[in-house]
Amino acid sequence: MIDQSLVLLFITVALASAVEATEALTILLASGITRGWRSTFEGAFLALACLAVIVVGVGTALIRYVPLDVLRTVVGMLLLIFGLQWLTKAILRQTGFKPPHDEHDIYNKEVASLSKGTGILRGQRDSLGFAVSFKGVLLEGMEVVMIVIGFGLATKSGNQLGTASLGALLGVGVMVAVAAVVAKPLAKVPENYMKLGVGCLLTLFGTFWMGEGVGVQWPFDDAFLLVLLAIIFLATLCLIAYFKRVHESGLEVAA
Amino acid sequence: MHREKIVIAIWKGVKGFFSFWKDFLVGDSPVLALGVVVILGVAYLLRGFVFLAPVTTIGLVLALLVFTIWQKARARRQAIQH
Repeated sequence: MIDQSLVLLFITVALASAVEATEALTILLASGITRGWRSTFEGAFLALACLAVIVVGVGTALIRYVPLDVLRTVVGMLLLIFGLQWLTKAILRQTGFKPPHDEHDIYNKEVASLSKGTGILRGQRDSLGFAVSFKGVLLEGMEVVMIVIGFGLATKSGNQLGTASLGALLGVGVMVAVAAVVAKPLAKVPENYMKLGVGCLLTLFGTFWMGEGVGVQWPFDDAFLLVLLAIIFLATLCLIAYFKRVHESGLEVAA
Repeated sequence: MHREKIVIAIWKGVKGFFSFWKDFLVGDSPVLALGVVVILGVAYLLRGFVFLAPVTTIGLVLALLVFTIWQKARARRQAIQH
């Protein structure tokens, strides 16, 4: 029988990676079109190699030298912070308090900014395109790396770094394939719904693992993950409904 | 002169490292990071209580979420009004 927490783990990492990949691909597309594809790909591949080294190096060191309870507490805290950050942003966007994430707008701004830069041309290489794609992939990928390491190491079933990495590769791979086919910013990806889902899942695992790390005994053991997911999801729906009404009616939120 | 440059470069690197992690973990919602630390402390103190510990931990997480959204929505509304 497949472990339900492993399935949730895989889905969370794949979705989180897909969201971050959408944002990174917009930067890569803008850089590739304005500065040339060669430097853009070189920068992106170098960043991916750095991220892979961090996953393997940091992941292996952590599992070898840090006790599982400490690891779960720290990973839980980090995931809870990320999860609540993502959930807050997604709920504010969903209710109209924050403008939606517009990949077309970001793409246009990137293109305008990259067209102005001169860069140092070495042969056919463009330093600006290289730097922009390297930085874009590294920064967007860092959150995924934290999630992969966290999910890979804090599970009860032992080292699941491979499963978490596979989830991340699947999420990124799907987005890259879609981007290659449409060859324009992935504006139609339901990014906010994905962020909402990932936010719920990160909050779920963050709460669960942080609690377990400090010694909280969850009822029904791992099966409680589904109950906790239902509670967080229901609370999210209630918050969206309430704040949407507040936004639409123009009522003063402040007391 | 050469040593000074190295010290400045190291200082800039250390500063950049900490500001990266600060942006990454705290970002524009310092209340979230602080709230999570408080929840951790409360969960640790209540860890011996079989019923109270899970209920309080979940309650505090939801309360932190509601407070952060309320705070941000309020700030946004005030910014629009002004």
